[in-house]
Amino acid sequence: MEAAEVEFLAEKQLVTVIPNFSLDKVYLIGGDLGPFNPGLPVQVPLWLAVNLKQRQKCRIVPPEWMDVGKLEEIRDNERREETFTQMPNPHYMELAKLLLNHASDNIPKADEIRTLVKDMWDTRIAKLRLSADSFVREQEAHAKLDNLTLMEINTIGTFLTESLNHMYKLRTSLQYSEDGPSQEH
Amino acid sequence: MEEELALSDQGSDAGSEEVLTPAELISKLEEAWLNEKFAPELLESKSEIVECVMEQLNHMEQNLQRARQGDLKISFHHMEIERIRFMLSSYLRSRLHKIEKFFPHVLEKEKSRGEDDPSLLSPEEFAFAKEYMTNTETLLKSVALRHMPPNLQTVELLKCVPKPNLDSFVFLKVKKAQESILVEPETDEQSEYTIDMAAGSQHLIRYRTIAPLVASGAVNLI
Repeated sequence: MEAAEVEFLAEKQLVTVIPNFSLDKVYLIGGDLGPFNPGLPVQVPLWLAVNLKQRQKCRIVPPEWMDVGKLEEIRDNERREETFTQMPNPHYMELAKLLLNHASDNIPKADEIRTLVKDMWDTRIAKLRLSADSFVREQEAHAKLDNLTLMEINTIGTFLTESLNHMYKLRTSLQYSEDGPSQEH
Repeated sequence: MEEELALSDQGSDAGSEEVLTPAELISKLEEAWLNEKFAPELLESKSEIVECVMEQLNHMEQNLQRARQGDLKISFHHMEIERIRFMLSSYLRSRLHKIEKFFPHVLEKEKSRGEDDPSLLSPEEFAFAKEYMTNTETLLKSVALRHMPPNLQTVELLKCVPKPNLDSFVFLKVKKAQESILVEPETDEQSEYTIDMAAGSQHLIRYRTIAPLVASGAVNLI
């Protein structure tokens, strides 16, 4: 899967916006939205929030966890633990990226948050590389991946599964060749 | 205007057996899309979901044509339609891709399935697969085979086209808790063992082991 498709899935997440227009309830196929009243917070999916923001029709309220203090705590926790800790949102990376790119004026200390999220991401990816390495080396047949987010899995996913498949092919054809020379590769 | 755009409940009864709200229908489509994207083999055809979603989209588009242009609300609906359409086409595209890649095996499996088994292909996909098979055979014949010595003029497509690799690893998220999944060892030195999968947990495992769980909807591929 491509990163853009993971982002597509993340855009379903609900965020709170404060609109500057009024509109009755909208009946979308995926559920009802609104009603929209100027100055009154309302929950909408991220794709709509970003679009409204781009058209300067709303202000986005950053999610509760998008806060320097909270993120610092999560980052330190992530560095301390050897396993993956639970993230404040299963799509934290995509949310942070989209909101910081399109609505940085609505997020206090946007630059610091950008750095913190990047730090968390880097720590986690480093752990992920380590565990992938030991998974391959130990020739495990199963791994539990709790607390990993879709974006993180996707970063390593295709590469890891493809290489495991190749190694499997090499190994099984080695076994065949011991039995007899009938093999294609 | 309000009435025109409102999706009344009658729309949600489109499913023949189970009654789904449109929102549930969309999440079913999303599930089917992701499973299809990650599974190494062609999954059971979800033509019912596809039909219902198409119906919803057409219904909504007809309503939108009657509506006033330039309205803020209309743009919301257009954006949502585009998103759903993207998912739908991506789903159908990944199925076609697999059909093209594994066509002899897909047709073979479809032929050997029992009366009551769910169909692997929708009628359109079946027609496509058959035509693809015929065209490939014709192409091979006219380009190469007819110039070969008589004893080399046949080709077994079932043997020439690679099979889907069911042993490939997949990532999955558990929807309904599962107990005692047998994990086969990778090497001869290891012994097999069983694992339990709690609801909501995520795993990396061979597709063959959990293929029935994907089909029954107990786990989702990610």
